[in-house]
Amino acid sequence: MDAVAVSYPPAAPSSLSRTLHKWGLLLGVIGAVLGFLLGYFLGGLGFTDTNSNGSNIQILLAYSLSAVGFLAGMGFFNRLIGSLLGRRPPTPADEAFLHGEGAGLSRYFRLTVDHKVIGMQYVVMILFFLFAGGLGAMLIRGELLSSQPSYVTPESYLTLVGLHSVIMIFMASAAIIGPLGNYFVPIMIGSRNMAFPRLEALTFWLLPPAGLILLSSVLLGGFPTGWTGYAPLADQSVLGMDAYLVAFGLIGLSIMLSGLNMITTVITMRAPGLRFTKLPIFVWGVFITSWLGLLAAPVLASVILMEVFDRTFRAALFVPAGGGTPYLWENLFWFFGHPEVYIFIIPAFGLIMEMLPVFTRRPLWGYRVAVGGMLGVGVLSFFVWQHHLFVSGIAPALRPFYMFSTEAISVPTGIIFLVALGTLWRARTRFTVPMLFVGAFLFNFLIGGITGVFLSDVPADFSLHASYFVQAHFHYTIMGGEVFALVGGLTYYLPKMTGRKLNERAGRRQFWVMFIAFNATFLCLLAVGMLGMTRRVISYQPELQGLNIAASISAFVLGASLLFWLGMIIWSLILRPALATQKNPWESLGIEWQLPTPVPTYNFDTVPVAWSLPYEYDTGQPAAVPGRTQPALAGGTPT
Amino acid sequence: MPQRRRNLINIIAATWVLLAAAGDIALNSLPLPPGSATDIAGSETQLIRILAMMAWPIFLAVVAGLVFTLWVNRVAPAAAEPGAAALRGNSRLQTTWIASSTTIVLGLAVFGTITLANDTTVPAVAHAEPNTPLEVQVIAQQWYFTYRYPSFGGFESAHLVIPADREIEFHVTSLDVTHSFWFFAAGVKADAVPVHDNSVDMQPLKIGTYRIECSELCGIWHGSMSDDNAQIVSAGDFTTWAQQQQQLDAPIMKYLPPYSHTYVPAPGVYGS
Repeated sequence: MDAVAVSYPPAAPSSLSRTLHKWGLLLGVIGAVLGFLLGYFLGGLGFTDTNSNGSNIQILLAYSLSAVGFLAGMGFFNRLIGSLLGRRPPTPADEAFLHGEGAGLSRYFRLTVDHKVIGMQYVVMILFFLFAGGLGAMLIRGELLSSQPSYVTPESYLTLVGLHSVIMIFMASAAIIGPLGNYFVPIMIGSRNMAFPRLEALTFWLLPPAGLILLSSVLLGGFPTGWTGYAPLADQSVLGMDAYLVAFGLIGLSIMLSGLNMITTVITMRAPGLRFTKLPIFVWGVFITSWLGLLAAPVLASVILMEVFDRTFRAALFVPAGGGTPYLWENLFWFFGHPEVYIFIIPAFGLIMEMLPVFTRRPLWGYRVAVGGMLGVGVLSFFVWQHHLFVSGIAPALRPFYMFSTEAISVPTGIIFLVALGTLWRARTRFTVPMLFVGAFLFNFLIGGITGVFLSDVPADFSLHASYFVQAHFHYTIMGGEVFALVGGLTYYLPKMTGRKLNERAGRRQFWVMFIAFNATFLCLLAVGMLGMTRRVISYQPELQGLNIAASISAFVLGASLLFWLGMIIWSLILRPALATQKNPWESLGIEWQLPTPVPTYNFDTVPVAWSLPYEYDTGQPAAVPGRTQPALAGGTPT
Repeated sequence: MPQRRRNLINIIAATWVLLAAAGDIALNSLPLPPGSATDIAGSETQLIRILAMMAWPIFLAVVAGLVFTLWVNRVAPAAAEPGAAALRGNSRLQTTWIASSTTIVLGLAVFGTITLANDTTVPAVAHAEPNTPLEVQVIAQQWYFTYRYPSFGGFESAHLVIPADREIEFHVTSLDVTHSFWFFAAGVKADAVPVHDNSVDMQPLKIGTYRIECSELCGIWHGSMSDDNAQIVSAGDFTTWAQQQQQLDAPIMKYLPPYSHTYVPAPGVYGS
């Protein structure tokens, strides 16, 4: 927060409110329990249960109020209640307390509005859910070693599939924008914080309750629908479905609010002289993604609410016998669902293009077309959702349009490849671990993109739709794309965030194992899909068992390589406190690397004013030097 | 155009054609799914082959470019030497790239639309007798398919049997949640949606026994909703079988709902 001189009577910091705040996490848990009990009690008061599967009004109210109780305990409503009671506005000292200044490690365990603390909180949460979802994947691959059910019942298999997919969707929608976007976007635009710091904290703290509610669905019988939640199957399901609905609703709310906050921050908080034409490419990626989140997630929230009405009040919006239609769910869900997958991947585009100039030691080749490419992907993503419905019985006349719009997305995506290849072309590339991941991203995403063209073609889709080909296709884009970019990006940025660099030699070995195991797994799965294996089945054709065993074994190696990576992080960050603090190990010109490590609470003492793109490796001129005013750089007139 | 650039373009074009041809020869020796058991399966196989033939040189070119430029100019990770000359872009190359990818995409879309139009219209050429399509209804419910033959009094069968010499018109519907009728070898996939009639036409070509499965998640036993005993038989066998079934089913016909393209789901299937 900018320290604006406001004259309020100097008041002693209220020790009670600070104590409450410090114990926020504990109070949050108590609040969640109380909220749960209150909801459960209210839901039992004279409501007639309309769902034969149990009292889902009770469970929905209990979950919703426990989320509210958690946020209240964390202290999200303290300021609101304080101003209703006529308390004085927060002083700069209060703000510094809220930013966790001087609080040490404890600031990571309470409501803190410093974007860097929130970024680190995201790192931990993303890793937790990446490995929780990964455990699900391992169990699924273990089960598919045999073509008939072995150690999992068909019912728990579907719950396993559903949990793996929703956890991963949840993780992937925040994987890059959460840790790296929150941490670095304000710094990259020369700001001292986000536009709405409390809202930023809220978007993070909505997610732990969402994750726990989702996991708790196991106690309520799970849910059989996968992440797509198709109605009317969802209408039919047991109470675990309500956990899915509340959790996904909270995730949607978080995506929406985070989008709003990022958009406002990038538009209003840029330092003087930093025009949109000089924005680092990663900030562009986050900015475009935020628009997608802001526009698509409300559709998710409303369709979730409609399903809640269907299940509790028998609204029959998706039940044909009552006048509704399953197509309503399919269209609304995918209207959110397709932009959602670009919410995963556009930050990854931005991230790899941010890293490319650093390791090739030259400017990004075609900055403007790269921005255009990401914009094109973002805009087109809203016009392709019906390719998920090619075989659903939609009017056949609609198919050619969606086939064309889907194939058209490969044009802006191709631009990203052109920019990457142009930047790499005959450059003296430094083969660091992040650079290896950039290369793997390009390779994997190329396969993901090409298989996508097969699926966009309607007649070919008649054969490939809903098969393992689709499954392998999106794992190529999201796991091979986004997760590889995330691993590379964290390897690149952890030295700035923590002052510790991961071991280069171990990282190199980990990379090759991960890259080869990933491709072995999903090439096998592309093949079983072409040979006619349906997604989400526990039993399959015995003749496909060989390929499935190969895929499973490679998947176990892939899982082990990621565990090893986690071990590397723990080793460097926690077990080796004696390691030297890193300031700028990659010799990057980005402004985030010109700051001291650890980055001070308010980032900059004075706002930097003169900017160029941070890729001027031929002159070695950084984007701007923080902390002091610089003479105007070429083309960077302060405004 | 300078001679050097023209040579380069010629080399690229020739390599491209060679790679595509090599890819096509390789693909021809593979039994590409879904095969050629029906007319639309044949055209899907053809389309997948053409897409693969086009995608293969692009894939190879990008990977080769990537590996070449990374390998040839690599330096040690910690090397401190300055970068190569700064290139900020090349608008002619960018325009060419965008224009050519747009052209490829437009071509693919037009080609796909033509294939689609051919698949979904009944061919104008006269068939062997009888040339009217045979209507077969596919009724999905948790967790099996039932088939009805309206031209034989609307009898029901637990296995699909169709004749090889006639156009078949599938009418797919569901009695509870959304399923999907996937006749893999026939290249047919159609969602079964309650109170909705989803229709697909196709012409069987190869007599044999095939697999049918459900490809839309439909509840606990989704993985077991398959049948390895779907048959394409000769016209004579089919008529014999159908008449036999019709007679067998005659006593129970009055208990079945009258034939219709959609049915109202029974109360209680969504939990009440």
